Amino acid sequence: MSKVTEVDIALSILDHQLVDGDGENCGKVDDLEITGLDGGSPEVVEIIVGGNAWRFRGRLGRLAARLSGNAVHVPWPEVDSVTSVVTLKRPAAELRLNRGDDRWASLVGKLPGS
Amino acid sequence: MSVKNVLAVALGIMSAIGGFVDIGDLVFNTQAGAIFGFQLLWVVVIGVVGIIVYSEMCGRVSAVAQRPVFDLVRERTGFGAGLATLAASEVVNLMTCAAEVGGVAICFQLLSGLPYRLLIPLAVLALAVSSWVLPFRWLERVFGYLGLSMLAFAVAAIKLHPDWGHVAHGFVPGSHSGGSLMVYLYFVVGLLGAAMTPYEVYFYSSGAVEDRWGVKELRLNEVTAMIGYALGGFLSFALMIVAGVLFLPRGISPQFLGTPALTAEHALGQVGLLLALVGILFAVGGAAVETSFAGAYNLAQFFGWRWGKKERPAAASRFTLSWLAIFALALLLVMTGYDPVKLTEYSVIFSVVALPLTYLPILLVANDHAYMGANVNGKLANFLGVLYFGLILAIAVAAIPLMLLTHGGQG
Repeated sequence: MSKVTEVDIALSILDHQLVDGDGENCGKVDDLEITGLDGGSPEVVEIIVGGNAWRFRGRLGRLAARLSGNAVHVPWPEVDSVTSVVTLKRPAAELRLNRGDDRWASLVGKLPGS
Repeated sequence: MSVKNVLAVALGIMSAIGGFVDIGDLVFNTQAGAIFGFQLLWVVVIGVVGIIVYSEMCGRVSAVAQRPVFDLVRERTGFGAGLATLAASEVVNLMTCAAEVGGVAICFQLLSGLPYRLLIPLAVLALAVSSWVLPFRWLERVFGYLGLSMLAFAVAAIKLHPDWGHVAHGFVPGSHSGGSLMVYLYFVVGLLGAAMTPYEVYFYSSGAVEDRWGVKELRLNEVTAMIGYALGGFLSFALMIVAGVLFLPRGISPQFLGTPALTAEHALGQVGLLLALVGILFAVGGAAVETSFAGAYNLAQFFGWRWGKKERPAAASRFTLSWLAIFALALLLVMTGYDPVKLTEYSVIFSVVALPLTYLPILLVANDHAYMGANVNGKLANFLGVLYFGLILAIAVAAIPLMLLTHGGQG
């Protein structure tokens, strides 16, 4: 992000919608990797999306994480803007996001008119 | 307003009227009428105002901030509480969808004379194919317009010449007769739950995004929610009135879904029966589609997937499979042979428990300047929003104890 703005991470980033460079939904900000919390200047390093990113999100989150695959890590410099959604610079596929839809696309694609 | 706008508003209102009544309203209004006559009409008014207040609010949030309900649930309540709300809402959606599917199959049976079990898969197939083929707007409207045949009940209510003094008295809460206090309270909760079912709010807010509403559509949102639902409420009055006139004096308990249609036949003959059945068929069919989509919208919005009829089905494959899966699970549930009327009662009572966590995030975000700018809640919307939230909390606590104490309204 070019402009430095003060953002309440818990309310304004965590659990928000991720939108890719093409304007398509591509997951949620499920967790954040933050460095420098032990005295240094805290900095968000990456966004963690899906799968075992949920394991720190309460008891239900732990259960959900156990049932799903690996999380995707998106480095913070990939973020274009933070409004009511978090917009990324590149298309989802380049960041290995939205693979769930790709996985099922061929099945749904077999139905007539899809 | 131009002619085109007036037409758009009229069409929206018509589909809101036709889409207002679903199997929950049908079951609870006729059963309440059969036990308490007109004495619970006031509850329908409270329920209709409630759904207007919250539909308008979530329609406005969708139009201004492009944020449908489950987006907000996740964002405002966090992952854990959000996931619990999601799980509860999916269970309720599935039960409601199954009940509506059962209703469609019963209407098919009454219209064709073929066996019920055979018609259940046909009903699901017909609903899934309509959902697949029709664009969003037409899906909403086809079911809404044909559901308007239920107006036969309104005509029947007038032709049955109820004692209008008694009817008017029913709009004032007060003492009751005909059943115990617990049963009376059970129906208060059930009627409120049937009028304010959460899936309507999920579908309405996601539909606003599907229809690409913007700030320009805010007036349309107000008018559609207010007039459409208010007129839809008249259908609920009519159901309770016809049941009060015909079932109460004869001691008939409408435990079968086709029973209410007989009231229209009594008042209007064969045409009345046919109109009532076609009306019920499309009203519950539309609700089945709405519940299956509501379930898929909620899942997609919670996990951040691509969603909506606006997407190519294969591009939003997880969303597409979700609504198809809900139809498939509903099919299995109805095929067990469980009574759709009983299923309806359970789905309405459980939906009441899920209401607070659905409505709270809407209320919070509708008050958030950062999202809503000049379109945040005004004083009236907030007054009513908070008042109804209190009411919802109270009925959410009371719902299951009342259901157990009264054996589902049996006394």
